[in-house]
Amino acid sequence: MARILAVDDSASMRQMVGLTLKSAGHDVLTAADGDEALKMASVGDPVDLVITDVNMPNMDGISLVRELRLLPQYKGVPLLVLTTEASVERKMEGKQAGATGWIVKPFNPDRLLETVAKVLG
Amino acid sequence: MSSNLLNSAATHPKPNAVRGHEGIQRTWDPHADRWCAKILPGEYYVTNHDEAITTVLGSCISACIRDPAIRVGGMNHFMLPEDTTNGKSAWLDAELGLATRYGSFAMESLINDLLKLGAKRERLEVKLFGGGRILASMTDVGKRNIDFARNWLRAERLNLVGEDVGETTPRRVLYFTQTGRVLVKHLRTLESRAIATREEQYLTSFKQKPVENDVELF
Repeated sequence: MARILAVDDSASMRQMVGLTLKSAGHDVLTAADGDEALKMASVGDPVDLVITDVNMPNMDGISLVRELRLLPQYKGVPLLVLTTEASVERKMEGKQAGATGWIVKPFNPDRLLETVAKVLG
Repeated sequence: MSSNLLNSAATHPKPNAVRGHEGIQRTWDPHADRWCAKILPGEYYVTNHDEAITTVLGSCISACIRDPAIRVGGMNHFMLPEDTTNGKSAWLDAELGLATRYGSFAMESLINDLLKLGAKRERLEVKLFGGGRILASMTDVGKRNIDFARNWLRAERLNLVGEDVGETTPRRVLYFTQTGRVLVKHLRTLESRAIATREEQYLTSFKQKPVENDVELF
């Protein structure tokens, strides 16, 4: 089972994503914005997967992905974006920043878990 | 009438819609003395101009949300899908989970678009409308919508500054995004059947097309 960092400024969204991941036995850490997530990710061992929202205060999700990819320990860690944004342009930005995949909300718990399993390999 | 409309349109050019909201119908409202966006069940609209937003609510609910500091505001209009779980509360339960996900999505979409216009989460002022039990024969779906919206706002620590919810009449809501003023007209119950039918059609439309996440791996 994996250690997963879930990043979202919405408390109910952190709870929903957290409960979904925990139901599959994963260990879940949460952060409320990109800045907090980057601080958590920079210390200690890297997590196995990061799932981040896009629109958040302080640091948005796409900047977070970009910053994480600059850390040597996050070069190979899957980074998933989970957002209400569905435009091709935003997805392209995410891809260029180094995201592994893009999931559009509202999310289906089973499909989220399938995707998590797929990217964790 | 038409010359008034023409004069108004000439002196008040239609403001540009925020990107992604161009599809919402807007007309000049002589009573509001503003351009007015009319939203239907499942839609939402945000603006950084001096506009009004209107909708008609039966058991659906609308959140009117604005950031008074930078004068941007918006409104959504939604209903939770039916709860067939007899009160089970597990989030992972398919039906209840669907309701929570759908409601959160409706609230979050509106708030995200306000944040994109520069609003700050901690400054947001929220007002809630609707959730009426407009047909005596119906189960009280309005109450579920009200409970969801209040609980969600509490969980998100957002500031609920006013509401006109519940009761048995449908409502027409007119929201002035720059000032936060809201005019609510309780409609005659004669109109309830037509409004309930439209809301049922909206519910059926997303039952047929399940709320699914679109996943793309790069």
